[in-house]
Amino acid sequence: MTTTEDRSQAGERKPAQIVDMSWDPITRIIGNLGIYTKVDFANREVVECHSTSSLFRGYSVFMRGKDPRDAGFITSRICGICGDNHTTCSNYAQQMAYGIKPPPLAEAIVNLGEAAEYMFDHTIFQDNMVFVDFCEAMVKATNPGVLAKAERTEAPGAAVHGYRTIADIMRAFNPFEGEVYKQALKVSRVTREMFCTMEGRHVHPSTLYPGGVGTMPEPTTFTDYLTRLVRVLDFIKQSVAMNDDVFDFFYEALPGYEEVGRRRIMLGCWGAWQDSNFCDYRYESMGDWGRQMFVTPGIVVDGGLVTNNLVDINLGMRILLGSSYYEDWADREPFVTHDPLGNLVDMRHPWNQTTVPVPQKRDLDGGNYSWVMSPRWYDKNADQHLALDTGGGPLARLWSTALNGLVDTPYVKATGHSVQISLPKSEKLPEMTLEWKIPKWSNTLERDRARPYFVAYSAAMAFFFIERAMSMVRAGDMKTFENFDVPDEAIGCGFHEAVRGVLSHHLVIRDKKIANYHPYPPTPWNASPRDSYGTPGPYEDAVQGQPIFEENGPDDFKGVDIMRTVRSFDPCLPCGVHMYLGKGKELTRTHTPTYGASHD
Amino acid sequence: MGNIRVGKPDVKTDTPTSVFGTHRGNEAPYKRQPGLHKDGTADARRSTGIHWKKHNAIMEIMPNLPPG
Repeated sequence: MTTTEDRSQAGERKPAQIVDMSWDPITRIIGNLGIYTKVDFANREVVECHSTSSLFRGYSVFMRGKDPRDAGFITSRICGICGDNHTTCSNYAQQMAYGIKPPPLAEAIVNLGEAAEYMFDHTIFQDNMVFVDFCEAMVKATNPGVLAKAERTEAPGAAVHGYRTIADIMRAFNPFEGEVYKQALKVSRVTREMFCTMEGRHVHPSTLYPGGVGTMPEPTTFTDYLTRLVRVLDFIKQSVAMNDDVFDFFYEALPGYEEVGRRRIMLGCWGAWQDSNFCDYRYESMGDWGRQMFVTPGIVVDGGLVTNNLVDINLGMRILLGSSYYEDWADREPFVTHDPLGNLVDMRHPWNQTTVPVPQKRDLDGGNYSWVMSPRWYDKNADQHLALDTGGGPLARLWSTALNGLVDTPYVKATGHSVQISLPKSEKLPEMTLEWKIPKWSNTLERDRARPYFVAYSAAMAFFFIERAMSMVRAGDMKTFENFDVPDEAIGCGFHEAVRGVLSHHLVIRDKKIANYHPYPPTPWNASPRDSYGTPGPYEDAVQGQPIFEENGPDDFKGVDIMRTVRSFDPCLPCGVHMYLGKGKELTRTHTPTYGASHD
Repeated sequence: MGNIRVGKPDVKTDTPTSVFGTHRGNEAPYKRQPGLHKDGTADARRSTGIHWKKHNAIMEIMPNLPPG
């Protein structure tokens, strides 16, 4: 069974007092997510949880028949915050299909852009959204006793971040007025500027193409990036210290808090930042160049590494329908029966998937209740469909990288049990080496804690990429694009890390057009409903059975512990946009003439 | 689209890129961008049209960096 074991202790239980509690839509996340729970207030725990999404993702439907070169630009629009991850991943898939390898400088520019994106997105999500659940105002409303204790607790990292007590840090987290909240907004602006110097525009890049980039690699392109990077270093170093202090305090102030959001360790990471010295985008050697990525791909189950081979990861992907509103495609003609290595490709693999939506009424009692399908990873050794989660992104990335022990750069080193991140001297703080150690649990606080560490990781890797890029520019190697032809028939797959976790794009080209295209971003993995085997998705699994520490009763219940768990996964469901104008009123119709075009 | 009733599409799905006269992005425009060489290097013509030959690197082993 892939679910987390039952956490209730027999013998101590009181008669259940079950109340239905639901949050739909959940705020301070991106997209439309509903969490429906049954909370037992007598025993202070969540008994049952369903996660639903009321947005339909139609990308795989309307990508069919389009020119594959457009894929990166169109799929970018899946998301309003990590669209560039989709462009990058789509380009990876296209590069495999077209059989091209971008020049090393282009790869460095993409990596720099993606590093800036991780820094931007994690900062804005952690400090402006997650921290509202940990701020003074929220803790006062939900656990006044904890706030009183926080006032008396000295912050161990005060020398780095400058806040004397834990309550002082919590006050800085207060929305709109707290110092950290306001500073984070500035930092996310600066990191977005860094992004734009590399990828042209945030969040839908204008200079990323299959085959390379259109960024002009001037020396100032890189120095502009570098000066901004150095400017945000102080904030990054302070964030790591502040996060450690607050989350350690929660473990201490609320014994048993490690159970909140804890689930069996089943993490997936598809790897990020290609190493241009090794990556040639050929499927046949994907396992080898995948291991050379600067965030190592891997599937971690119960603390052990199952595989770090992207070919195995690819072939194990299964899209189960479970409790979602779609029609099965199992009896249709498969698009890809064998991969280029001759391995059998399953009918439930994204390469063979056909999306057929069947809208229907939501039925939380054993019926269908979500537009999210249930992606699972088939572990052939254990013969199980694992409901992998991404730990919000950073937890899985750091865990897989640490366990693999393959990343070895001057700034980031994976040791087998930890990741060491060295950041140079910045305006206020000296050179620092931060170490993220593999935690005991995959739970809410560890998911949140990993996030600032990954911001530091990205900053450190950005120094590495910028040194690489500048050494190429100084040597006069300014090539950023490789020409290519679109083949008549080809298949490709791209593996990347969106900010909140695994991202894959699967592409099938026939007659120079897209025959099938399936992007799998992290949230379908995390927010998936119960699958065909009855296994709950990660949100449901993490929330179900978790204890409630909030002091409020059913009448003024805020559900902060449940919200902390759900937000720790960094939910992001903006995979479709629906506008209802009332009785189909047409507001405007515009026509954009394309050069030389004659529209039908 | 399964059993969902949808309207008639206004344009063909691949209209934007299959238009005659549109430049194909996958072929670098060397003819229209003087100064860029096919081996990935460039000379001062890339950055200026004025006395550009006088703005090249002064030695062969030196790279031709853009002024920006």
